[in-house]
Amino acid sequence: MKNLYKVIRRELDIIRRRPVYILASVGVLAVNIVFYASLFGDGLPHDLPIGLIDQDRSSTSRAFAQQLDASQLGKVIYYDDMHLARKDMETGRITSYVVIPEGFNADLQSQRQPHIGYYVNSLYFVGGALAYKDILTMVNLTGGAVQREVLRMKGMNEREIMNQIQPIVLDQHQIGNPTTNYGIYINGVLLPGILEMIVILITIYTLGAELKYGTSRHLLEAAGGSFEKALLGKMVPYAVIFTVLGVMLELVLFSWFKYPLAGSIWWMFLDILLLVAASEALAIFIVGLFPVLRLAISVGAIVSVLGFSLAGFTLPVEVMPPYLQGFSLIFPLRHYYLFHVQETIWGSGFAGWWQEVVYLLLFFFLPPMVMKRLHGAYIKQDYEKD
Amino acid sequence: MRKTDSFLRTWFRNWYDIFVNELRLIFSDSGVMIIFFIGGLLYPVLYNLIYMNGTVDEMPVAVVDLSGGSYSRRYLQKVDATRECEILIYCSSLEEAQRLMQQRVVHGVILIPADFDKRLVSGEQGFISTYADMSSFLYYKCLTMGTSLTMLDEIHQIRTERYAAAGEDGQVTYQLTKPVLYDESMPFNKPFSYTIFFISAALMLVIQQTMFYGSSLLAGTLREQNRSFASMPRHLQGLGIGRVLLGRGAAYMTVYLCIGTIIALLIPWLFKLPQHAWWGDIMVLLVFFILDCIFFTFTWSTLIWRRETVFVLFLSVSPICMFLTGFSWPNTAIPEVWQWVGYLFPSTFGCRAFINLNTAGCSLADVAPEFRAMIIQTVVYYVLAYMAVFAENRYLARHSSTNSTYPQ
Repeated sequence: MKNLYKVIRRELDIIRRRPVYILASVGVLAVNIVFYASLFGDGLPHDLPIGLIDQDRSSTSRAFAQQLDASQLGKVIYYDDMHLARKDMETGRITSYVVIPEGFNADLQSQRQPHIGYYVNSLYFVGGALAYKDILTMVNLTGGAVQREVLRMKGMNEREIMNQIQPIVLDQHQIGNPTTNYGIYINGVLLPGILEMIVILITIYTLGAELKYGTSRHLLEAAGGSFEKALLGKMVPYAVIFTVLGVMLELVLFSWFKYPLAGSIWWMFLDILLLVAASEALAIFIVGLFPVLRLAISVGAIVSVLGFSLAGFTLPVEVMPPYLQGFSLIFPLRHYYLFHVQETIWGSGFAGWWQEVVYLLLFFFLPPMVMKRLHGAYIKQDYEKD
Repeated sequence: MRKTDSFLRTWFRNWYDIFVNELRLIFSDSGVMIIFFIGGLLYPVLYNLIYMNGTVDEMPVAVVDLSGGSYSRRYLQKVDATRECEILIYCSSLEEAQRLMQQRVVHGVILIPADFDKRLVSGEQGFISTYADMSSFLYYKCLTMGTSLTMLDEIHQIRTERYAAAGEDGQVTYQLTKPVLYDESMPFNKPFSYTIFFISAALMLVIQQTMFYGSSLLAGTLREQNRSFASMPRHLQGLGIGRVLLGRGAAYMTVYLCIGTIIALLIPWLFKLPQHAWWGDIMVLLVFFILDCIFFTFTWSTLIWRRETVFVLFLSVSPICMFLTGFSWPNTAIPEVWQWVGYLFPSTFGCRAFINLNTAGCSLADVAPEFRAMIIQTVVYYVLAYMAVFAENRYLARHSSTNSTYPQ
């Protein structure tokens, strides 16, 4: 016990002497929270630039432009030159453009079915899709307004007109994110992913630095020759830091930002705790496998960056090639995400996420596998250092 | 005359020595080699594999059809026929369907209430409820697209039937049901595939980030060993900074022209991504972009005084850069302060220029604004890097007597 205490004291000393540890954990997480929280702001984009070429210049086309401009998503930018609009769409300065041809109003009034043309740059993932939706809605509304006029002349009342114009109505529900807020969807998993990255990198860095700077024997000495105590003592201060960070992150997401949470925040604490612990275990495994700091940290960097993609919260895992679907299981963030879905969307409690807990606990079997190898490296210091 | 001549000659000799020295450093450091060659080439390949199928097709959907008439059946058949949705199972209650969604068996539920057919037959409005699994936005998008497009189609058909029943002839019916016709064109990425949008932006980002991490690793190592490149101009009375920067820069340019060509030309060809640009244009872009990245790296790597700290401190910058390119989250929705932060990174302009050229098929003239921004960045970062070396050189000169030069 005395030795363990000595190792912890030694580690706290290192943290105090080298600001990089606090900077890379508290600092990096804080910067990322500020960035992503402010980036997604209200959760839905607004004022997407939509080009409009009005060759008709009639009251109808002007009304169309005004409605498009007044919609929350769109902001109209007028063009005279079709070529220029096309270029600006191609280079992403506008998301899309709409062409209202000459004679549009006249054709519309006399039921000669005028054409509206629109062009959307689909390389812009969210912006393009939303601009498309906005334009499509406006075009259908314009058509509806004409029909309404015709039907009114035929002597129908408002109720009958609605029955005729829109015989089917969709009533859409978004379970777990009723306002389709992008921030809720991205930040709920991306920020814990950043924490996973921090845990993996710092754990590898602190364990590898003992090898690189040749201080591992001094560490073992402080631990009274016990490698287990040395490892445990080294991990304790970080476990405390990361746990506090994790709990604060969940509080920021669900108490401060008020992201929807069907279940209990206590279970989310459990989720992030397991994520932190599993990431530490994975990091110890990586150092044990490659007891050279720069190699281990490069591997850790690749693993933690891939974790974002393979967690499957952007592109679902089931559409990836089969061999990658299995590969996704080795990323703690994948299990965090599945747990998170069960608890935040469904409030399922234990029954919904117990399997993810088992998976995350399985990561604890990784460090024992490399214990001997890492111990040997700590004693002999026989791996290259740079 | 002789003096000028000898100055030029010395300049070139020094430049050449530094260039060769930097190349030797790069190729003799296995860590840097891993980042440049394995990282730089592995990431593009891995991302191509992960995002090989960039769309969710035939997403499983559960149906609760309490109406069970011909209208509801026709609607559901059409939904089933869309690219987006596939009806996997019919449930007897919403609870049952939602349980399946919770178990991730289905990702959307369509509920047709009992009076749906009755209302439509009597000429009223019928209501359909949809429930989307919001655990991924692509599920939501699939359900919305599948059910909405089908709804538009059904609306059209029902209107037509009703006009016909009211005794209108075919032409009038057609004009009435579709008063405005529209042509849509969604060039470049019609199905909004994740692959095309993500990888096109990621390729340029990989160039910038691997160069930054690798070069900072090297700079950190040299500083740890007290032989920073900043000490080089010392015996030149502080005059040799230009040749140090340009000599080292030439080394990275040489290496990255090779890596960049593979990333920007070979990888898209290998994975059959769209390539609408002439390869010469892409090479021009690469030269400007890499030059920009080099001085960007030289400036910011001044902060790296120890080898591995670059990863612990700056790895999370990569996803931030990705968002700042404006391809996933639209530019107009990015707060102004972050747009300014975006101007600090070559990738913000490099990615846009690459996508515009390579994927949207623009000409070099169309991306002139991006090029202008990259040139301004290059000049500014060159000056900053110059000042950084100058400052470090002075710092080293003052502290050269002590044993440990850099703060721990």
